[in-house]
Amino acid sequence: MNELLEKLSRCVELGKTDLLSPYPPDMKGQDGADELAKKALEEGIRPDEILEKSLIPAMEIVGDKFSRKQIYVPQMLMAAKAMNSAMKHLKPYFQSGEAKRKGKFIIGTVAGDLHDIGKNLVSMMIEGGGWEVIDLGVDVGSDKFLRTIEENPGAVVGLSALLTTTMENMRTTVTAIRERYPDAKVLVGGAPVTMEYCNKIGADFYSPDPQGAVNYLKQLAT
Amino acid sequence: MTNARFQYRFSDLNLNITQIESFMGYKDGESHETVTELLSGILAEAEEICDIRAEYHIWPVASFNDSEKSLSLDHHTFNIGRIIYGQMKRSGSVALFLCTAGREIGSKSRKEMREGDLLKGYLYDVVGSEIVEAAADLMQESLEASVAGEKRRITNRYSPGYCGWDVAEQHKLFRLIPYNFCGIRLTPSALMDPVKSVSGFIGIGEKVKRLPYTCSLCDMKDCIYRRGRR
Ligand code: B12
Repeated sequence: MNELLEKLSRCVELGKTDLLSPYPPDMKGQDGADELAKKALEEGIRPDEILEKSLIPAMEIVGDKFSRKQIYVPQMLMAAKAMNSAMKHLKPYFQSGEAKRKGKFIIGTVAGDLHDIGKNLVSMMIEGGGWEVIDLGVDVGSDKFLRTIEENPGAVVGLSALLTTTMENMRTTVTAIRERYPDAKVLVGGAPVTMEYCNKIGADFYSPDPQGAVNYLKQLAT
Repeated sequence: MTNARFQYRFSDLNLNITQIESFMGYKDGESHETVTELLSGILAEAEEICDIRAEYHIWPVASFNDSEKSLSLDHHTFNIGRIIYGQMKRSGSVALFLCTAGREIGSKSRKEMREGDLLKGYLYDVVGSEIVEAAADLMQESLEASVAGEKRRITNRYSPGYCGWDVAEQHKLFRLIPYNFCGIRLTPSALMDPVKSVSGFIGIGEKVKRLPYTCSLCDMKDCIYRRGRR
């Protein structure tokens, strides 16, 4: 692989956002994801190549390490920050249609629930997997999910909840989505959610961690 | 009914960085410079951005129901589930408690996240969780000391939503708290607002005991915090 892309990948994995990021110590004073992504584009490397060959693989390593409990949430977030600083340079190309992402992912915490940390982690890892994420925030009712699906045909939907009481609102939302958009894929997650519950309410997929969702989406996209 | 109210300063809690890092999973000394630095900034600010309050209200147990695994306080029956019932069944009375770190630390967390500093937002969130637990520890110690003179002891803290006790039973719990000093609002879906809040029971009696470690009682086998102190 191109040396520059390899370096960029490493920066994202280790959370080296830019020249000024003090971490990791042995990379102090060197370019970070921000500068390297810019350089890669200047050298004529295509935006989708940067995404596919450098950024996505880096985030995959990060997600896997988190699933295996080799790293904790803070390192995952540092990687995401580095990823975002590289993505900022790619976004104009996605907007103009010159480069493409894998699809759209709509995510929200269901009605009655205000927890967002878990949802934010998932949304950022899915963005790192090459998807455009539409984050509807917390306390999101079925109507808002339906409207957003209507505006973004073919989008995959993710629902999050932290309490068993609010988890019941997942059922309501899944049912509403099924009625109107029988083919829409719906992913569910959050501390009280299980595979069994996912099957019971007719959702398509459950994962206890973000990487499981990223892998599932990867399959959908191919 | 006896009750007590507490207002704590952040410094009363004796929270340190190592403790918070270990809550996130890090072993001693394993954490990142960046994380440690951000945490020390947040801890320095914590005194200002927290409104740490706790309260308990002691109710005599009206009756126990062994087959239902429930107990009644006043006219409310709580279905606390097998595990918690086993710990509570020798209590003569129960302290219902609430505890909160206040609203601002949660708002700070959300603000940082919204503005793109995910790590800082997450760290505010974790510190908030640790604050409310540490404050509940202090409240519990006060309760323990206040009943010790009467030769009574206390159980561990148990919360609706844990160990098979339905989280929706918080609605009954809140009804037995006449004056909500903590200022916590319970939503119809049994979510406490501010988010950094806890509620629950502590059993009181001559024959009850406090276990040193309660993870082994919990049914959440793959909890990421299981190997920790939770
Ligand atoms: C820290 C904590 C607290 C803290 C902070 C709470 C907060 N969120 O701010 C405090 C101490 C305040 C607290 C209080 C309570 N808590 Co609490 N708490 C936890 C704990 C230990 C960790 C939660 C957390 O922050 N995790 C970190 C984040 C990143 O994880 P996450 O949100 O689960 O998200 C991850 C996955 O779930 C997944 N995911 C999330 N969403 C989605 C979506 C999709 C599509 C996918 C694929 C994946 C996915 O990916 C994320 C990253 O890995 C959990 C137990 C646990 N191990 O999860 C209990 C837990 C959430 N709490 C629980 C309960 C019951 C309570 C209380 C009701 C107890 C009480 N009566 O006082 C209160 C409620 C507070 C309130 N405001 O209403 C229960 C909830 C289940 C239930 N029975 O309803 C849990 C699950 C513990 C248990 N019983 O097993 N709690």
